[in-house]
Amino acid sequence: MTPAALLETAVLLGLFVLAGGGYGGLYSIGRIAARPALVRAGYVCWMVALAIALTITLATPLGVGWKLLILASALVYAVIPPMTWRFLERTHTDEGLGA
Amino acid sequence: MYRSQKLSLRYYTAAVTLFGVMILFGLLSALYYLYPSMLFNVFNFSTSKILHIDTLVLWLLMAFLGAVYWYLPKELEHEVVGMWLAELTFWVFCAVIAVVAVVFIFVQYGPANDFTLWFINQGRKYVEAPRWATIGVVAVMLAFAYNVIATCVKARKMTGIMWVLALDLIPLVVVYLDAFSYDRNMSTDLYWWWWLVHMWVESTWEVLIGCIMALVLMDVMGTSRRIVEAWLYIEVMLVLGAGILGLGHHYFWIGTPQYWLSIGGFFSALEPLPLLGMVVHAIYDAGSHRLKTTNRPAFFWITTEAFLNFIGAGIWGFMMTLPQINLFTHGTQWTVSHGHFAFYGAYVCGVIAVFYVAKQKTSRAGMLDGRAWKWSYALLNIGMVGMVMGLLLAGMAQAFFGRAIGGSTLMAFTTASENPWFVSGMYARMLFGLLFAAGYVVLVYDLLTSPKRVATLAMQPEPA
Repeated sequence: MTPAALLETAVLLGLFVLAGGGYGGLYSIGRIAARPALVRAGYVCWMVALAIALTITLATPLGVGWKLLILASALVYAVIPPMTWRFLERTHTDEGLGA
Repeated sequence: MYRSQKLSLRYYTAAVTLFGVMILFGLLSALYYLYPSMLFNVFNFSTSKILHIDTLVLWLLMAFLGAVYWYLPKELEHEVVGMWLAELTFWVFCAVIAVVAVVFIFVQYGPANDFTLWFINQGRKYVEAPRWATIGVVAVMLAFAYNVIATCVKARKMTGIMWVLALDLIPLVVVYLDAFSYDRNMSTDLYWWWWLVHMWVESTWEVLIGCIMALVLMDVMGTSRRIVEAWLYIEVMLVLGAGILGLGHHYFWIGTPQYWLSIGGFFSALEPLPLLGMVVHAIYDAGSHRLKTTNRPAFFWITTEAFLNFIGAGIWGFMMTLPQINLFTHGTQWTVSHGHFAFYGAYVCGVIAVFYVAKQKTSRAGMLDGRAWKWSYALLNIGMVGMVMGLLLAGMAQAFFGRAIGGSTLMAFTTASENPWFVSGMYARMLFGLLFAAGYVVLVYDLLTSPKRVATLAMQPEPA
């Protein structure tokens, strides 16, 4: 790994998780505030995360196994916010505490 | 108020005091990076760093114990059994810390013999406290475990949270026993030493703070027991699934077999995923309350915990956890940056929320708000973010110039330490550290004075 590749890869890994977090955050705020535009912005964040995952896969010197793990993580990121949201809604509705 | 809640307030007072000591020695340690020959052979960097890190562990531990003593009688509707023991061990704990601190400051270290091991410094990072003090800490932990379990038995009541807490007491005591063992083989010694450091912090403590946050959420936000217990069980599963084997990311470069590279990297890479779920949950809870609460400081600190835990542990951790990157970053200021952010997000924010819960109850304030907590909240958070950005910059300079280009030689380390990027990062850390310290001062002021000002505010007439 070259010195430049070290920093580029590390920054891409950080941005990947940041974009995933942006997706979760915007999706949730959009849902709670009933603002579909924010939910859509959340989806854009996820697409950015996917694009970063692809960039990591194609342009960094990480091992194949790690690249596959990051691609799989990108797919898991897609389902975590809606899945968590549904779970929260269901449990809160059961308790009569729905948002 | 229960007797154990009064004890809890003593624990909080001790915790806040040690929080201040930690900041003081943190600032001093930061100064050594700017003036490396400062206090040379009088009070060396190594001692300042020991006091900074050890007080970090101790103030959080004291706050955890205080929080459990606060909620235990409320949860079980029964006063804590063996209060005399709990009170005695509190003073034992304080005495141990005070004596060890005095020894560290004035004696610092001794010759490599049994006397030093028993009475001055064990010489193992993070568990430097001499052996007699380590025995004292074990006694405190055992008494705490007895108090919790005996109260459950006496109250004839066991909630889901209490089950998790009771089971967590086993590793809380047993894993700490690793502080006694050592091995002449450095690899073997570090192998087991990481059990203590990682298992306590990234497994046992996470479950403990999870239990405490579950109780706080029911208290401050009125979240139902069923919901918080469901999340607590999920957290325990994730700790068992990813947290324990995440230990492997400490085994990359200490002479352990190569398979730890795969195990450590894989399970560490999974760690941001549950944290994303926490962010979603925090937003759901904050939104469903429309940010309305009777305890605004606690509410904001709880919500902040989810976000900063995600950023500090998730983003900062993922940047450097894969072995190919970690080869260059481990042991640099990059790691320090991650450590500061992750600890702050995972524990400090939650513990500050607990302080405000106790403050509201003891002052009987119907509504806890004001300006001071907002200042301390802003100063502490901006101070922490600034510090970790400075450390990240310095760490990247070390990894780039000292490791990747320089090849990790002593000369490369020295050259990287003089690099303008590294030096700028260290100055930024110092300045934001001062901001953080200012936030601490305002926090203490607010914790000590908020009831009076809230009472004054409450007496003001409603605007027409």
